[in-house]
Amino acid sequence: MRASAGQRIVNSLRVLFMSLYAAFIFLPFLWMFSNAFKPNDRVMADLTPLSIWTFLPRPFTMQPVVELFSSGLGRSILVTVAVAGFTIVGGILINSMAGFSFAKFRFPGKELLFSLVVVSFLIPFEAIAVPLFVTIQRLGWMNTVYALIIPALANGLCIFMFRQFFMDLPDELVDAALIDGAGWTRIYSALFMPLSKSACITAGFLLFLSQWQAFIWPLLVASSKDLRMVQVLIAYLTKEEFRVFWNKTAAAGFVVALVPLLVILPFQKYFVRGITMTGIKG
Amino acid sequence: MTDKSRKLVAAYAFLLPALAGLIVFRILPVINALIGSLFEIDYGHGGAMRFAGIMNFINLFTDFVFWDSVKVTLLFNVIINPLQIAFALLMALLVQQNTRLNRSFRSFYMLPLGVSITVASAIWAILFNPNAGLVNGILQLARISSQPFLTSSVQAIWCIIIVASWYGISYWLIFLLAGLQEISQELYEAAVIDGSNAWTTFWRITLPLLKRVLLFVIVADTSANFLLFAPIYVLTKGGPQGSTNTLMYEMFTSVFVHSNLPRGLTISTVLLVLMLIVIQFEFRLFSEKERGT
Repeated sequence: MRASAGQRIVNSLRVLFMSLYAAFIFLPFLWMFSNAFKPNDRVMADLTPLSIWTFLPRPFTMQPVVELFSSGLGRSILVTVAVAGFTIVGGILINSMAGFSFAKFRFPGKELLFSLVVVSFLIPFEAIAVPLFVTIQRLGWMNTVYALIIPALANGLCIFMFRQFFMDLPDELVDAALIDGAGWTRIYSALFMPLSKSACITAGFLLFLSQWQAFIWPLLVASSKDLRMVQVLIAYLTKEEFRVFWNKTAAAGFVVALVPLLVILPFQKYFVRGITMTGIKG
Repeated sequence: MTDKSRKLVAAYAFLLPALAGLIVFRILPVINALIGSLFEIDYGHGGAMRFAGIMNFINLFTDFVFWDSVKVTLLFNVIINPLQIAFALLMALLVQQNTRLNRSFRSFYMLPLGVSITVASAIWAILFNPNAGLVNGILQLARISSQPFLTSSVQAIWCIIIVASWYGISYWLIFLLAGLQEISQELYEAAVIDGSNAWTTFWRITLPLLKRVLLFVIVADTSANFLLFAPIYVLTKGGPQGSTNTLMYEMFTSVFVHSNLPRGLTISTVLLVLMLIVIQFEFRLFSEKERGT
């Protein structure tokens, strides 16, 4: 089939528009990437007038990245990874248990409790940040890792996801195991969990991102210097220290963006599936 | 213990840890916000809480800073939500067909998801620099004079909208793309055979079948933008002259800058109620349309 002249014009306009939007998305990345490896005086000199050198790291230097790690980025990454690690392990455990219960048991109050789960993930976290902060203060958890980890463990979205996943596993599986004399703990841990690798990866990824990208919550409850999570550190550096060191801001953005990208790439399909699950199957 | 009662105990035991967490850290804070907004701090008696009835609400509703903030929040949302959703839908439609070109465009559009909104804000803070920022550099190429951007009380909110959309559109694009790909290809083919053009196909087939996903995107986007925080914190701190001081940011400054916890909790309650109303309204509006067709 040959396209008419009109169709060809429409198609070129479409590609032009898509390219313009791609440029809008991509230029900040390109700028960040190249300026993370440039001496600071060149960053500003290369911006006016605009030229190809605005987007190329010349002369190339690792200085901004190196200096960044002496401003506490290394520690910040370690804290965040540790917090995320505990959240992933604890979160997968308790949310899959709850999902298992909702999927394979019948008990009084089930509908009510499940609607509680749904309501909990419809309440946006930011809206309750201040009252939750009061709770943490009363518990005496200010500036501790507990404040960062424990409220993040129970996650309505993850419970929902595990429930959906377990519901697809046949009931006969449970019946057969019960006849063989297996207890419920055993059915959960030796039968269901090994079958739910993809659900675990999705949930783990959601939990990882929730901690890696967390900003307002750690800002409120863990702003002390030795507990600064990565996003809090970035905001702090941008506002306080890097007002004049643009290359360091770019380097910080680059390093902090790199970590989840390295995690996303191998797990891309789980990531997309994870974040669309509730929207499509709700 | 019978098998049946053992089964019941197991059911509740499996539920307990997660449900306890949800109740303490998700449901109770909502109740605490409601209760807390009815109390004031009695500085005469060592800062004890004292019942204040609706005093906090009266104080808030007679405060022009609050009303300015409501205005900013509503204005911001009236612009940014239709903008983000229309753009995300447009881009999703443009790249939905599974050609090699579209696939590479798609991966470009997903890039912002790799960074956080905080990092995005930090980078854009520099791009929007009035003296030597990249945006002004590009404007200069088009012979447009330098703009003040974040330092202007007129332009600052638009800068926040651009930064939030740069990030947000990519996010909603994923949902809409997934929704589009669930629509059966045969329907489109049938439409072509019936002589339907692209415009009618969109209104008669695509949009009705996308409704469920679209409703989710609209509701989730609205709530995300109502509660937007990081770009405002990093880029403007609510300024210049309160022009970007949304309710969310006003709540933050009330508690953490002015140490006025009751005011913060009162705003928190107002925010929750306001969001509930808007989302209710959106649900009404869209299920109404569903009955119409």
